[in-house]
Amino acid sequence: MNKLLKVYLLLLTMFFISGTLFAQNEEDFDKEDPVEDLAKEVNTLKPGLSRFLMRGYAHAGIEFLKDNTTFVGGSFNPIFLWQQSKRLLFESELELELTQDGTELGLEYADMSYFINKYLTVRMGKFLLPYGTFGEKLHPRWINRLPSNPLGFTHEGQVGPMSDLGVEIRGAVYVTRNAWINYSLYVVNGPKLNDGVDEPEEGGQLHYNNYVDNNKAKSIGGRIGILPLYNSSLEIGLSGQFGKVGTSKTAYEDIGSQLYAIDLSYVTRLDFMKSMLDIKGQWNRVSVDQASYSDPENAGQNYTFENVSNAYYAQLSIKTAFVDNDFFNKLEFVGRYSKLELPSKAVWGGEDTQITVGINYWLDWRTVIKFAYQTLDSSGADDGHSSLTQGDAFLIHWSIGF
Amino acid sequence: MKSKKHIINLVLGMSFATALFVVGCSSTENAAVAKSGAELWGENCVRCHNAPSPTAFGDIQWETIGQHMRIRANLTAVQTDKVVEFLKMAN
Ligand code: HEC
Repeated sequence: MNKLLKVYLLLLTMFFISGTLFAQNEEDFDKEDPVEDLAKEVNTLKPGLSRFLMRGYAHAGIEFLKDNTTFVGGSFNPIFLWQQSKRLLFESELELELTQDGTELGLEYADMSYFINKYLTVRMGKFLLPYGTFGEKLHPRWINRLPSNPLGFTHEGQVGPMSDLGVEIRGAVYVTRNAWINYSLYVVNGPKLNDGVDEPEEGGQLHYNNYVDNNKAKSIGGRIGILPLYNSSLEIGLSGQFGKVGTSKTAYEDIGSQLYAIDLSYVTRLDFMKSMLDIKGQWNRVSVDQASYSDPENAGQNYTFENVSNAYYAQLSIKTAFVDNDFFNKLEFVGRYSKLELPSKAVWGGEDTQITVGINYWLDWRTVIKFAYQTLDSSGADDGHSSLTQGDAFLIHWSIGF
Repeated sequence: MKSKKHIINLVLGMSFATALFVVGCSSTENAAVAKSGAELWGENCVRCHNAPSPTAFGDIQWETIGQHMRIRANLTAVQTDKVVEFLKMAN
């Protein structure tokens, strides 16, 4: 009896299920509505809250240098942005570059940010440091108005860092009705002192890319930017970064470093010239506590020097953007003075002065062809990072932002 | 020399402390609240690079770019939201 009841119930269930399915099919068929179908289809394309955006930039060019003429570029920097929610963003940039030894892949930055509230964002990872503005805000090739970087503002950081690993808080706030400030405060691994044990000719130099720190002391730094004018055209920034740089358990472990930077930006419309005026400048000063290093010129002896380096630049550009002529309104005229002063008594010391003038032709807001003439007056500062320090040069670069 | 160093460090430290304090008691009635998204775009998005045209990206892309620029350019939340609203409307 019990068995029979079960079979009966099973048959009944199957009957109802098939009946409902059939009815549904019939219903669907009766009610076919193209608008509803379309709405359903569009719904499947809803972006959702997680977003991914890939951008970046690239450049190519030709450089006429003192001893050679060479095509350069063949590099591009993809930028990946993952927006996880309204509060969470991961950003990362790679650099793919041709080098003498093949293709090189670099990680420019990779960090996550969380917007805690209106005034406070926390960031962690490898990020571009707000030490001045050039490294963080102006170095991408479609943003930099000239094909070269100012002296000392190299990719790896020569006088002052470009990027580092750590944690940061940042934000911005109005302090009066019109004036506002922005701030960032960070703790990072910090630079590492080359104590010259392995490379005596570099004793006293700072190296900025430390993926594993050489000591327990972290560097603390920050920047405050002040925008006093009602139209935000002027920004003055002060930055500092402090920390021990010597390797633990060596004679240099207590050697500290003090890094300062001042930056300025003024961008405004010049109605009488139908132009945009853009003035930028930055001064970096890096000082390392005095220590003695082995003297590469006198084997077995030590030497010491005042370990202070400076790098600064001032740049002015005028873009005739509002002229009523389709050729001239794409032009921009740029001039930059830049100077590098490394400790005069160090074997790697010396002074370089660079003057660069250029004309840019903007194909659109992020694509530019730059023509520049550059002179270098060198008294031996060993830049060593760029062929552009070889003397006078004529440079043509085509840069594009995506 | 040492004491000069300390003074500079102190001044910098105090500037940051002041900044953080000001954050706590900032007034809400400021120029960013009064200005339109288009004005804020014209003023802020030209400070580092040329101002991007609203038509360069779609709405969803502008939202992500807005977040990216809020961090990169240290913009306030109100400035960013207004600019993004403007870009989404004008594209
Ligand atoms: C303080 C400088 C600065 C300001 C102000 C600024 N940007 Fe940017 N912007 C950058 C930098 C730097 C990049 C390149 C990002 C990179 O290479 O990591 C960039 C990139 C971009 C890009 C390319 C896509 C991306 O996210 O990388 C867009 C679009 C853009 N900015 C739009 C804007 C808009 C809109 C504003 C105004 C709200 C603005 N920017 C204000 C510095 C700035």
